[in-house]
Amino acid sequence: MRSWQFDPSILAIALTIIGVGLVMVYSSSVAVADHLTGKPYFFLERQGVFTLVSLIAAALMFQVPMTEWQRLGPWLMGVGALLLVVVLLVGRDVNGSTRWIPLGSFNLQVSEMVKLAVVVYMAGYLVRQRERVLHRIGGFAAPMALLGVLVVLLMLEPDFGAAVVMLATAMGMMFLAGARIWLFLAVLLPGVMVLAVMVYGSEYRMRRMAGFLDPWQDPTGTGYQLIQALIAFGRGEWFGAGLGDSVQKFFYLPEAHTDFVFSIVAEELGLMGTWGVIVLFALLISRGFDVAKRAERAGLAFHTHIAHGITLWLAIQSIINIGVNMGALPTKGLTLPFMSYGGSSLLSNCVALALLLRVDHEARGALGKAGRGPTEVNA
Amino acid sequence: MSGAQLPPTAPGRRQFAIGLIAVMLGALMSRAFYLHILDQDHLQAQGEKRHLRTQALPAARGIIYDRNGEPLAVSTRVETVNGEPEELVLQREQLPRLARLVGWDSAELTEELERRACRKEGSKHIFLKRNANPTLVRRVEALGIEGIFTEPGERRFYPAAEIPANIVGFTDLNGKGLEGVEYVYNQRLAGSAGSERVIRDNHKRTVERVEIVEEARNGEDLYLSIDRRLQYLAMRALEKSVRNNGARGGSVVVLDATTGELLALANQPTFNPNDNKDWIVDHYRNRAVTDTFEPGSTIKPFTIAAAIDSGRFTEQDLIDTTPGYMMLAGYRISDARNYGRIDMATIIQKSSNVGAAKVAMELKAEQLHHMLTQVGFGERTSSAAPGEEYPFPGEAKGHLKPYREWQRVEQATMSYGYGFSATALQLAKAYAVLADHGRMHPIRLLRLEPGSEVPTTQVITLETARIVQGMLESVVAAGGTGTGAQVPGYRIAGKTGTVRKAHDGGYEEERYRALFAGFAPASNPRIVVVVVLDEPSGHYYYGGEVAAPIFAEVTAGALRLLDIPPDRPLELLRMASAGGKS
Repeated sequence: MRSWQFDPSILAIALTIIGVGLVMVYSSSVAVADHLTGKPYFFLERQGVFTLVSLIAAALMFQVPMTEWQRLGPWLMGVGALLLVVVLLVGRDVNGSTRWIPLGSFNLQVSEMVKLAVVVYMAGYLVRQRERVLHRIGGFAAPMALLGVLVVLLMLEPDFGAAVVMLATAMGMMFLAGARIWLFLAVLLPGVMVLAVMVYGSEYRMRRMAGFLDPWQDPTGTGYQLIQALIAFGRGEWFGAGLGDSVQKFFYLPEAHTDFVFSIVAEELGLMGTWGVIVLFALLISRGFDVAKRAERAGLAFHTHIAHGITLWLAIQSIINIGVNMGALPTKGLTLPFMSYGGSSLLSNCVALALLLRVDHEARGALGKAGRGPTEVNA
Repeated sequence: MSGAQLPPTAPGRRQFAIGLIAVMLGALMSRAFYLHILDQDHLQAQGEKRHLRTQALPAARGIIYDRNGEPLAVSTRVETVNGEPEELVLQREQLPRLARLVGWDSAELTEELERRACRKEGSKHIFLKRNANPTLVRRVEALGIEGIFTEPGERRFYPAAEIPANIVGFTDLNGKGLEGVEYVYNQRLAGSAGSERVIRDNHKRTVERVEIVEEARNGEDLYLSIDRRLQYLAMRALEKSVRNNGARGGSVVVLDATTGELLALANQPTFNPNDNKDWIVDHYRNRAVTDTFEPGSTIKPFTIAAAIDSGRFTEQDLIDTTPGYMMLAGYRISDARNYGRIDMATIIQKSSNVGAAKVAMELKAEQLHHMLTQVGFGERTSSAAPGEEYPFPGEAKGHLKPYREWQRVEQATMSYGYGFSATALQLAKAYAVLADHGRMHPIRLLRLEPGSEVPTTQVITLETARIVQGMLESVVAAGGTGTGAQVPGYRIAGKTGTVRKAHDGGYEEERYRALFAGFAPASNPRIVVVVVLDEPSGHYYYGGEVAAPIFAEVTAGALRLLDIPPDRPLELLRMASAGGKS
């Protein structure tokens, strides 16, 4: 038996982000938890359990060879699509969105699982249909059509954020795989136009857009949440108000422990804290691309696509979440990977991390087999 | 894996993706720098606008004590429960429980909340419950309703209830003095509220104290000259007498003769300041200082004092009161019976109107007027330091015409107390002059601190005062009109008065005011007591019959409580041995 080998810094970075996340989830939720349940540790305890379960799941998933994922890709896709239908039928409605399937004391957010399935499926597709993807319009259009169905299902929940992340990740994977540039332009330009029409055509979306562009225009309405987030940044200054000393978490900033946990980091830890978290994500992303390169060197195409997909997913989702927190992007219901409160998100992020490490492990194995021989001979 | 196979990544695309992501992360870091550092003033100001509140630091209102440190008015900490109607109306299912706790009708509360929630301008905020005790506040908080917050406050409590109510007064719901000492010394009692800046959470609860803008300065405690024990005594005696004699009301004033300190002042009717449900506005006022009346025969000692001080008369001079009445400008002045030729002492002892009038006619109007003003009639009873209020709100000065306007008949009636008006407190102050050997002291409501000087003016000569004291003793002695005022063991001096109540420019036949004014012990007077009984409606209505017994009861109790030794101890011994034999 070969011992496991992968870049330990990836695990270290991810665990650091998870650790910071746990502290910040506690700090940002303490007032809300006490108010809602009378137990200040309520969200911390649950997030702790989620973390434990997710890490165990990740350890188990790490054992599964990549060939299995490649084989199961279309099945996963099918199950993901089915779950998206199921959630519309039996899902739990929270704040006007049906995103969760209730499982006892835990609610499963289906879109988190679907993101993972799309990455695995797309990686397999890019290997199987490589020629068509590179040279035929159909090779690009076919997965887009499938993704279109998923996007429609996600929009029915609605979960616009998940749709954006999923679509961007899949398109990014195809871009890296070498699909022709004009195809992206052909999809993106009309896409932007359709979006513009949708925004201008709906007063609701228009107001959401205006609330993002100039939150101060309607500080108690559409701009409320963003203003509260921005105030958190202003209060943070260079080194923060101090851990635990956020004021915004006292019912001013809604979703302070979920989608807006980054704002509480900003308030309590300041610019050093926000830059620190961004740097952690940057390191994780760059290590992800390193893994992809290594897999590519080892000649493992599926592995390379998986590493691309997972890295892009984490990059896109963290950039959008942080951008939203800082008013650089319109508000979406997206978590900050590894940090925000939420079991589904943490679980899918950890499993994705396990896949990334597995890719690294198998790539290093392949390279070792190829490279060790001559080295040993020389010795 | 054949070397011919193309790599899974198109050339340069990963670098492009990495570059794009790096640019975006860089943009986020710049944005973070902008928000944290460059825009911090604006954002913090916006934050403070939302979090920071300046809230009052309440100052504790001073305690009002009696002269011995017994509390007459104290404040207890309470909470005011406030609500935000906009949030409360969203929790309709909780409203009935809330309403029950804060003592509202459930439907009424819902309606009121909805009305306020719809208000376009002004404060929507609602007082749900004032003066809530901590237990209630905890129970309201336990409901877990949003939009409820509490504010600390104070509630005034009066331990002696109605007994000193007319002096102490009371405060309004916001703790501002409205009557009595609470009103007059409001500024000193109130102190000044401070303010502090706090960070509040979005549920309006204080999360953190930022700074104290201004420290609260607690109000000053006040020590009144009132003796709570004497006040009880006076009130009980008065209340009993008003009830037994079917009187409309009355007053008892007890003064320290040597300092002018007010020891007790009881009025009937009065009110209980702790229970605002049965407040009747007419009962608030301190009748002993706000209501004036013609003092009647109680003035005669001052007429005689004026006569002797003027040098026109000596105490031995005899006045012929025969035939018991006299006519003056068509006006009949009469005595109860024909006393014949009598000396000054007898005029006082028998309360002869004719005698007093005849003496007065011999004097210049100026001399009589001078005497009356010197002992304080027509003036406030107390002095006030610059910038301070007089201690008795609404005090009446009484009416005393300038002597140049007096007609002859007025000079005559003035001598036995008709034709001018005074308050019970003025009468007591004037008697204090006689008691303290001709010295006048302004009336004090605040305790005289030990060692401080008593303002004193000699307004009647010592000799005259001594002579009149003796005459007043004869009133209470056998043969006088005021024997009902006797107190065993003590020499008592005093004067009765029974005055027809003035009404529409004339006098009523059947409505009287019974008076008794006096002091004790006569050998070295320490206290002055004045009793006024308004319209005793029973069989008895003379001052000597209904007012003198109250005087006796109050004086006896006061002398004992103040530990003033008897100046006729043998009488007590005789009584004790007589009691032993029976």
